[in-house]
Amino acid sequence: MTQSGEPVIAVADLFKCYGDVKAVDGISFQVGRGEVFGMLGPNGAGKTTTIEILEGLREPDSGTATVFGMDIAKHAPSIKQRIGVQLQTVSLYPRLTVTELLDLFGSFYAHHLPTQQLIDAVDLGERAKARSMDLSGGQQQRLSIALALINDPELIFLDEPTTGLDPQARRSLWDLVKGLQAQGKSIMLTTHYMEEAAELCDRVAIMDHGHILEMGTVPELIGRRFKERAVFFDTSPKLAVEQLGKLDGVTRAAVEDGQTVLYSRDVAGTIGALLGLTDELNVDPRNLGIRQATLEDVFLDLTGRALRD
Amino acid sequence: MNTLLRLTVANIRSLVRDRAALFWTFFFPVMFVFLFGWIFGGSGDSKVSIGFVDQDNSPISIGLKQAFSSVDLLVVQTGSLEDEKAAMQHGDVSAIVVLPKGTGAAVAAKVASSIQLYLDPSRSQVSQVVEQIAGKITGGFNLTLAGGTEVVGVQNMTLQSTNISSVAYLVPSILAMALMQLGVFAAIPLVQQREKGILKRIGATPLPRWKLVGSNVLLRLLVAIVDAVVILGIGVAVFNVQIVGSVLAVVGIVLLGAGAFLAIGFMLASFLKTEEQATGVVQVVQMPMMFLSGIFFQFDFLPGFLQTIGRFMPLTYLADALRQVMVNGTQVAPLGMDLAILTGWLVVCLTISARSFRWE
Repeated sequence: MTQSGEPVIAVADLFKCYGDVKAVDGISFQVGRGEVFGMLGPNGAGKTTTIEILEGLREPDSGTATVFGMDIAKHAPSIKQRIGVQLQTVSLYPRLTVTELLDLFGSFYAHHLPTQQLIDAVDLGERAKARSMDLSGGQQQRLSIALALINDPELIFLDEPTTGLDPQARRSLWDLVKGLQAQGKSIMLTTHYMEEAAELCDRVAIMDHGHILEMGTVPELIGRRFKERAVFFDTSPKLAVEQLGKLDGVTRAAVEDGQTVLYSRDVAGTIGALLGLTDELNVDPRNLGIRQATLEDVFLDLTGRALRD
Repeated sequence: MNTLLRLTVANIRSLVRDRAALFWTFFFPVMFVFLFGWIFGGSGDSKVSIGFVDQDNSPISIGLKQAFSSVDLLVVQTGSLEDEKAAMQHGDVSAIVVLPKGTGAAVAAKVASSIQLYLDPSRSQVSQVVEQIAGKITGGFNLTLAGGTEVVGVQNMTLQSTNISSVAYLVPSILAMALMQLGVFAAIPLVQQREKGILKRIGATPLPRWKLVGSNVLLRLLVAIVDAVVILGIGVAVFNVQIVGSVLAVVGIVLLGAGAFLAIGFMLASFLKTEEQATGVVQVVQMPMMFLSGIFFQFDFLPGFLQTIGRFMPLTYLADALRQVMVNGTQVAPLGMDLAILTGWLVVCLTISARSFRWE
């Protein structure tokens, strides 16, 4: 992260309602130059509304939002010259080819990269003459990224860039984003995939019901809530959570997704005590393992709900 | 290349590559021209039917009738003036030759007299042919009977044929229909582009919105001109329809009409959310217009209450204006009023669209 100078995005007390629904309910955050900033949250959390306000597509009800230090409400046209946008829906003129679409969108900007360079960058060379309606989901997504890069933007918005992609296509898109970051681009992305946020983002904001619940680097977010690591296992029958909670080092015991999880400050002590207990009760702890808490745990802890696709 | 032009080219490409859209935009109206042209044909026949009314019954009048009958191009039928006028109004004959009582006696006395020629100025090609033939025949009579002195002249009379089945009536009507459809149907791709987020995606670029709208307008006006050229071309080339008015006036009315219906299409797109809705509503709007605007049959022939409904429909006035300028047809309203009403629709619908159009 090379956060220097003034932030590329600064948002303060942003509100946006749709009827009675508070889509964005008073959020504030900043994104530094060269940073990859992620908004993580379930569908309907307000991520897309936030990103679309920053793209100049929606007007907030109140609050301030600046990009490159300029108020979006007043300077949308010049901001739009310098940002790259990838929307959640990737639909484009279905009967135009990849090359035609890139040429067309390039003409909307004062400066734009050569079409061939973009096609190479997203590896669509073999499909350059294909109509966009004939592209696969992953290819359409790559075209959509190419369109977001067409004006060689300083700041790129990616709204759920990998939703609906197969794991391989997702990986290749992650590599693309990492490449952009290496070029010094600032990136703001939304996702509801924990691994994606952990893999790509310098900092993450966790959003739900229009609020930012937590914000920080991934280790910060985990460390702030979970000093412990998790010891997990299966037994049949399940052991009483109350009893497990009294084992050495355990701060909390719970059953999550059918697994018994012990949050422990002293993993070695906890495992020793656990094995002693199972021996005594003559049950077999299967699938025993240890893991660091993840963003998923942070989200679960914050909202009481699991993130869903 | 200018952004506006690039967008227009993109729109043209999208249209040309969409077979269904192509069909409705170009082939459907062309199909109509051929269909109705062949059903109501007649003008395509190389023979010209004329009515011959002999009120004189002298050797001279019989000679003249034989002279007309001997012309290969003409098919001559005889009858009373009333009958022949009715026949001409129904399009059964294209002109009427009348020999008034006393023509024979006048010629015998070498006193100047004249035959009457009823012509329809809206069918100028046929009228010119008949006029020339009549001139030659009377000229020949004058030469043989009076050594060149004009004893038999030709007096031209005008009779508007209100022929409901004439192709001349239908061609401007079909053009009006095509313009109505291209405008109203423009709602569908707009709603489609909004529904798919294309309008929104373009909204995220620095492209000014007027250029996006402008490219759509340019595309449709271009299509309007192509439609006009194709439909009128077929009308003129295949069905011998004569365009009597100025080409410039026709182009002007085509553009105004396309503009008015495009404004209606934009207005519909402002209120419709899904492509399915748009497809349905567009049909609900265009179907009654097709049948109540007197484009396939004479407006005056509609029952009174349907005429009242028809008078609220902009298509009635576009078809009327085109007919007046192109074939001098009978009018539903004066041309100025037609143009004023179309302009009114254009302004009102455009204002409503500008206020309520949603980009997503």
